[in-house]
Amino acid sequence: MSEAVLSLEDVEAGYGRAAPVLRGLSVTVGAGQVVCLVGPNGAGKSTALKVASGLLAPRSGRVVLAGRDVAGLSPQRLLGLGLAHVPQGHSVFREMTVAENVRLGGYTVRDPARLAERVEAVKELFPVVAERWGSMAGLLSGGQQKQVEFARALMLEPKVVLLDEPSMGLDPRATRVVFDQIDLMRRTGVAVLLVEQNARRALETADVGCVLDLGRVHISGPARDLAADPRLGRLYLGGAAT
Amino acid sequence: MSLLLQGLALGVLTGGLYALLASGLSLYFGVMRVVMVAHPAFLFLAAYLAYTMHTAFAADPFLTLPVTVPVFFALGVAVQRLLLARLAPDNLAMMSVLLTFGIALTIEGLLGTVYTGSYKSISMDYATRSLTVGGVHLPYDKIIAFLVAAITLAALFAVLIRSRFGQALRATIQHREAARLVGIHTERVAGYGFGVGLATAAVGGTVLALITPFLPASHWAWIGKLMAIIVVGGLGSVAGAALAAVVLGVVEGLVLVTIDATWATMMFYVFLFLTLLVRPQGFFGGRLAHRF
Repeated sequence: MSEAVLSLEDVEAGYGRAAPVLRGLSVTVGAGQVVCLVGPNGAGKSTALKVASGLLAPRSGRVVLAGRDVAGLSPQRLLGLGLAHVPQGHSVFREMTVAENVRLGGYTVRDPARLAERVEAVKELFPVVAERWGSMAGLLSGGQQKQVEFARALMLEPKVVLLDEPSMGLDPRATRVVFDQIDLMRRTGVAVLLVEQNARRALETADVGCVLDLGRVHISGPARDLAADPRLGRLYLGGAAT
Repeated sequence: MSLLLQGLALGVLTGGLYALLASGLSLYFGVMRVVMVAHPAFLFLAAYLAYTMHTAFAADPFLTLPVTVPVFFALGVAVQRLLLARLAPDNLAMMSVLLTFGIALTIEGLLGTVYTGSYKSISMDYATRSLTVGGVHLPYDKIIAFLVAAITLAALFAVLIRSRFGQALRATIQHREAARLVGIHTERVAGYGFGVGLATAAVGGTVLALITPFLPASHWAWIGKLMAIIVVGGLGSVAGAALAAVVLGVVEGLVLVTIDATWATMMFYVFLFLTLLVRPQGFFGGRLAHRF
């Protein structure tokens, strides 16, 4: 496996005083690798991403980013260390232009020349973003909004990107574009930790698949093998795998 | 006809002032989903401070602004960080009503102790005259109130649209989690947003002191009107509240000259109920609702 960029090691986490959602979760993502978390609702997939990005502090366990234990650090700190997180649903700033949204991805960049350079780079990566540059983000289609979110997340050239159900609510064409972009991230050496309800499609794209159940990894392995595993079909994919 | 023009002109001038007075409430709700019942009490706290400066030093009330604006900004940050940020997020709106209701009562009590319960007012020579344009009389105090409100709102909008802080504040209002994920310290920004809201109260209260007599309990008469404005405008939208304020100000002015003062005040609540019935997100809500 390529060098580990992000590891969650034996993580326990939850909300408030409620019972833990993650109960000893361990998962590792390497550079240029896509690791996909699938599983039933409530398994802890989105919670795992929140812990990794600092939105939720773990109760125990380690979060290791590029060799450093970063458990409990704020999202602001983790952003600076090379971690970007695209949350579930539409997370564009709806009443701002696409330009404002993308530039906010470089909010922590103080050097205007560097900011301009990154803006041009992501506009090249995402032609739709460049085309709709002056439009109000909330007026874009769901697929276009997702492109804006990806562009915003890549503004700081992250080492690892966390994607929470990026295809949710998108039509098949927009979904295909989203997975093409994930593939592009992999080819540029970015580590991707992906959470998806569309498990079959996600496992087609991912290198490694992890099936979560009750807050820990239940089954894991090469994504294509996992997609063909009949246990997975019976348990989580709504029927026998093909 | 001239009566209608008079009502229209006064309505526009008063509506401009309402826009300033309601802008803080919109900001509070936008940044924290907090219903700040104490905003009018802070308005009258500023009015009393202007009154004190005027009576003690014969100073123009507007000369107090370089002191009261930063002090109110700091107070706003303190109220948000020390009190409101500690409320449980589950029932923030309801708890914020109770907490800020308590703050309003405290301010009223302190003002009553220091200034007694009798009416106070500030009378400036320049504010007692009026300008006549085409048979319409425009009192200078109302013109001044409108201009101060317009300048303050223009400055507020410039900050929100142009500055780095303004962008961070708008991002926090529109999607707090995404704002955190791009590196914005949303708690700090929310505190400053609250500070800006209360700083508008310093300006608004000083203007109020110039145009109307006041007593410690005066804030109760304003909370309903201002709440009606931000609901009609669309909760959380400073721009929507400004538009609704001018519309309601004009309606109030026209009803005042054609029917009577009671019905003029009632119009705020008529519009509030109509909005809740027909378009609960506010008439300038929807697309505008989270703009600022």
